[in-house]
Amino acid sequence: MRLRAATIRFLLLALLGGVALLFVTPFVWMVATSLKPLEQTMALPPTWLPRSYHAPVGNDRLEVTQDFQLRQAGTLCRYTAGEKAGQQVFIPDAAADDGAAGDRQALHRVAAGWWHVTERVAGAEPRRAPRWDIVPAEEISSRIHFHWSNYSEALELLGGGTSEAAVAGGRPRLGFWVFAGNSLVVCLLGVLGTVLSNAVVAYGFARLQWRGRDAFFAVTLATLMVPFPVLMVPLYGVFRQLDWIGTLLPLWVPCFFGSAFNIFLLKQFFQTVPEELSEAARIDGCSEWRIFWRIILPLSKPVLIAAGVFHFLFAWNDFMGPLLYLTRKETFTLALALQSYESQIGGVQWHYLMAASAVTILPVVILFFFAQKHFIQGIATTGSKN
Amino acid sequence: MPTARTAFAPALSFPSWTGGRLLLAGLSGLAGLAGPAAAGGPDDGKVHVTYWEKWVSFEGQAMQTVIAEFNRSQDRIVVDYLPTSQIDRKMIVATAGGDPPDLVGLWAYNLASFADAEALRPLDDFIRADGLTPEQWLARYYPVYARMIQHSGRIYAGISTPATIAFYWNKTLFREAGLDPDRPPRTLAELNDYARRLTKHDPATGAITQMGFLPQDPGWWPWIFCLWFGGELFDGRQITLATNPKNLEAMRWIEGFTRDNGADAVKVFTSGAFGAWASAQAPFMSGKIAMVFQGVWYDNYIKQYKPGLDYGVGPWPEAAAGVKDFCLAEADVLAIPRGAHHAREAWEFIKYVNSNNPRARTREELRGGELLCSLQQKLSPLREWSPYFEQHNPHPNIAVFRQLAASPNARATPDIGVWQEYYREFIAAFERVRLLEATPEEALGFAHRRMTESWERYRRSLERHGQVPPAAPGHTP
Amino acid sequence: MNARDRRKFFAGVAFTSPWIVGLAVFTLYPVLASLFYSFCDYSILKSPVWIGLENYQQLFRDELFWKSLRNTLFYAALSVPLGTVVALSLAFLLHRQVRARGVFRTIFYLPSIVPMVASAMLWLWIFNGQYGLLNAALRPLLAPFGVTPPAWLADPTWAKPALIIMSLWGTGNAMVIYLAGLQNVPRELYEAAEIDGATGWRRFWHITLPMISPVIYFNVIMGLISALQIFTQAFIMSEAANGNGGGSDGNPGRSTLFYSIYLFSTAFYDLRMGYASAMAYVLFVVIALLTWLASRLARDHVNYQS
Repeated sequence: MRLRAATIRFLLLALLGGVALLFVTPFVWMVATSLKPLEQTMALPPTWLPRSYHAPVGNDRLEVTQDFQLRQAGTLCRYTAGEKAGQQVFIPDAAADDGAAGDRQALHRVAAGWWHVTERVAGAEPRRAPRWDIVPAEEISSRIHFHWSNYSEALELLGGGTSEAAVAGGRPRLGFWVFAGNSLVVCLLGVLGTVLSNAVVAYGFARLQWRGRDAFFAVTLATLMVPFPVLMVPLYGVFRQLDWIGTLLPLWVPCFFGSAFNIFLLKQFFQTVPEELSEAARIDGCSEWRIFWRIILPLSKPVLIAAGVFHFLFAWNDFMGPLLYLTRKETFTLALALQSYESQIGGVQWHYLMAASAVTILPVVILFFFAQKHFIQGIATTGSKN
Repeated sequence: MPTARTAFAPALSFPSWTGGRLLLAGLSGLAGLAGPAAAGGPDDGKVHVTYWEKWVSFEGQAMQTVIAEFNRSQDRIVVDYLPTSQIDRKMIVATAGGDPPDLVGLWAYNLASFADAEALRPLDDFIRADGLTPEQWLARYYPVYARMIQHSGRIYAGISTPATIAFYWNKTLFREAGLDPDRPPRTLAELNDYARRLTKHDPATGAITQMGFLPQDPGWWPWIFCLWFGGELFDGRQITLATNPKNLEAMRWIEGFTRDNGADAVKVFTSGAFGAWASAQAPFMSGKIAMVFQGVWYDNYIKQYKPGLDYGVGPWPEAAAGVKDFCLAEADVLAIPRGAHHAREAWEFIKYVNSNNPRARTREELRGGELLCSLQQKLSPLREWSPYFEQHNPHPNIAVFRQLAASPNARATPDIGVWQEYYREFIAAFERVRLLEATPEEALGFAHRRMTESWERYRRSLERHGQVPPAAPGHTP
Repeated sequence: MNARDRRKFFAGVAFTSPWIVGLAVFTLYPVLASLFYSFCDYSILKSPVWIGLENYQQLFRDELFWKSLRNTLFYAALSVPLGTVVALSLAFLLHRQVRARGVFRTIFYLPSIVPMVASAMLWLWIFNGQYGLLNAALRPLLAPFGVTPPAWLADPTWAKPALIIMSLWGTGNAMVIYLAGLQNVPRELYEAAEIDGATGWRRFWHITLPMISPVIYFNVIMGLISALQIFTQAFIMSEAANGNGGGSDGNPGRSTLFYSIYLFSTAFYDLRMGYASAMAYVLFVVIALLTWLASRLARDHVNYQS
């Protein structure tokens, strides 16, 4: 019997482990990508570990990128005359004679399967054309090399900054801390507003009897069904009238006016507190506000934490809201600033995007890891009624 | 006996009322930080022009260098650069919100619809105030660029960086296939022939390992093939997608590539380098596709990602009989949103970028547009180039692109306000045809019908708002 | 109302006053304004012009409206049930006293807090047809059957399933709520059942499931409402695949043209806010209809304890 129970436990653990592995693989991939140099982030076939390669180029041994393999044998030549003088070129043996053989000087033979390697020059634009060569695979050495500098560079470049010093006359470079600060302001104020306003409103629905209460609550629930697109354009108009477009206000002020989901959540919880408590207080002459503030609220710690954490997690990553309402770079939140790695034409700077994303999710991961017990308990207690 | 109250005594007492009040006060102080930012810029006595642009990385750096030069060259105006993604949408929303930037970097194809939507401020009066007629202003550009910045008889933007699209081919692959690496295909027939000879399969699995040409790489302007064949998308009054037979010919040609090679094989082949065009794994750069139409910016990317690539750049093969040097021209433009607070100052910057130092002989003497275009490795939209830009241009193949820009057969996006939708419909038709999900007739017919309805609706809407439907383009130089 | 009732009424209104303001300004006004716009020709930069039912008439003749609706319903019909099963299963696995429960819970919840930009790009690579991680794992598994894995996001038939798989990765949110619900099932019920000799399966079917049915109902409704509005992932992935242009169009072959994406295109790229508002209202009606249907079903199956 005990063996069977132990086997079941072990199998369960193995199953959980397997599924957890599936869930965590994309994260590992994200972190792995964040440590690679740009050219390896999109290597096909994909690799897990970032490497640095060294190979002989000309007479030196340099750090190189491994580009592609030659399929044919041939000769590496250099032009000695004509307008291409000085340039290298690979001439396959099978190539037709292009009449320019006299302008070229052979450097060395190349066998099929050799690798084309290019000198790896750090920095955005190389000052001069990087050197390249074609070498056999055996001569390329590789070692694992984590590019931790990606993180600092990613944070510096966040929001579209440049790696050059700030241009004369322009605004000072904005960085990670400004965006993180904006995110923090929006999230913390939002949490405060969410917790306070929804608690007050939920009390009104849960602990007071008044005419029209149930109908009003039904309407409240109905608003959960309203899709965001219905609200989007007129809401923008509302904020425009208030002159709040371009500021952070539209992202946190509405939290002080309640939200249907949280009202529902808190109401469920408030209903579990025994009515006798309120009655006793009322007999003692307490006002409703005092009952709310002194009795109900202190008992609601778990669910308030749950509501607060829910909102923080949502607001930290929210990008639709900032996308619609924020226009000035100084006001951008982290989630929005992450978009800046998607250059319109230049492709995505994957390594920076992943590095910045990893940094962005770190606070919420830590928050969740430590708050999860309260979080879940808070939601759980909304269901229990005595 | 414990009362109900004591039985539920909380473990943690809630902050007292005064404590709560202090907390609230502190936080509202913080909230002040989150409120509306101070209007305008720093107090330095200069006019600050907010400029939204889509460029980051080296393109952004190039523009910031030009901005620094502009800021240095006078002491009245300072331009503040802000890179923004989804700039067309954001600009509309900001303009509607009454707080637009003073200057915005759009694409030329945005101008027709934004102008009709009354989102932009025309520049004609600024030009006149500077002592020029609009015709004189436009005559400075190559015709295709002059046409691009006009709509309904008014000028709505200046050019920041132009581009023309040329024909690129991989010389190494040409050699391997036994073709002369310095002789690109000159006609459509030759292109088709070369494409066949440059397509290779894996002997073991039959999978495609290399393609000579594939219309969907890069797949940003498949509609240009219709114009290349001699067709038209819009004749100034009506949609002509399905009514012009040349468009159909072009679609059949596109279909041919999938038919000849097998739909599944092509699908597998193309999914490999998915969306990674600016990387060493891009199909052309990694030697997967031998010939491609790409823009003036491409040389820079090749230098960055595949410096050893042996490639050539040349004009388009001739498709429609007698039409030489056909090409697609596009541009990034600078426009002033309606309601911008510092329109005049923004115009000064547009002027700066749309002029050059015609006597520049060294890189340090470059000014304005030529400085920007040389840093971004593009050509200049102006007819007159400085000696340095002409003879010592950092772009190795600039002459080809200049030749194409100057060509009378250079074409741009049709000047129609519903272009966004037209473009999406065309892409959908293109996808259906290249995936063999519909015949070219079906696909074009469907798109034609939708676009005709859409265009009618658009015209009605313009009439409803008291804007007359767009007249034929004026100011043609 | 007598004096006492009136006092209670004012107390009630006083407490719910923040929500009254919020509801009026941030929900009711936009809902009514959108309704008005849906009867207008409105392009956000010019003033709205009344055109009556024209937008709605066009809507029902618009092939893309129907296509986007079909795409969205397909997505919801698969992702909601599958997501429920996955979230419930994970919650069950974690409900027992398993070692390192906190670590597992964090791992499963993590995906739902990754910024959408990052996770969309991540999955773009995982789904790569030739070299993506998923196909690298699937290829050896399918080879003995002579089948090759599909090209996922490059194939119109497999693009939506790819997005559905991606949504399963993000079921951590629902899982946490199910975990909470499972905690609420009184132990006494299980103990009593064990005494009566009920097996694990019977305990699950007759105790657990009914006891958490309100939670399931809630999650399914919220999941449905959210699935019908799917936007961000499809938008980012489609845009990344197609580069700049006239906005994302759900390619390949408009297979991932979801309702919200078409709405967004119409509103912000074609600048037809009136038409987009009409679309938004139709979506509202569809959501209300499906919610009502779900409630009817729930009445027979959902078990509320009192």
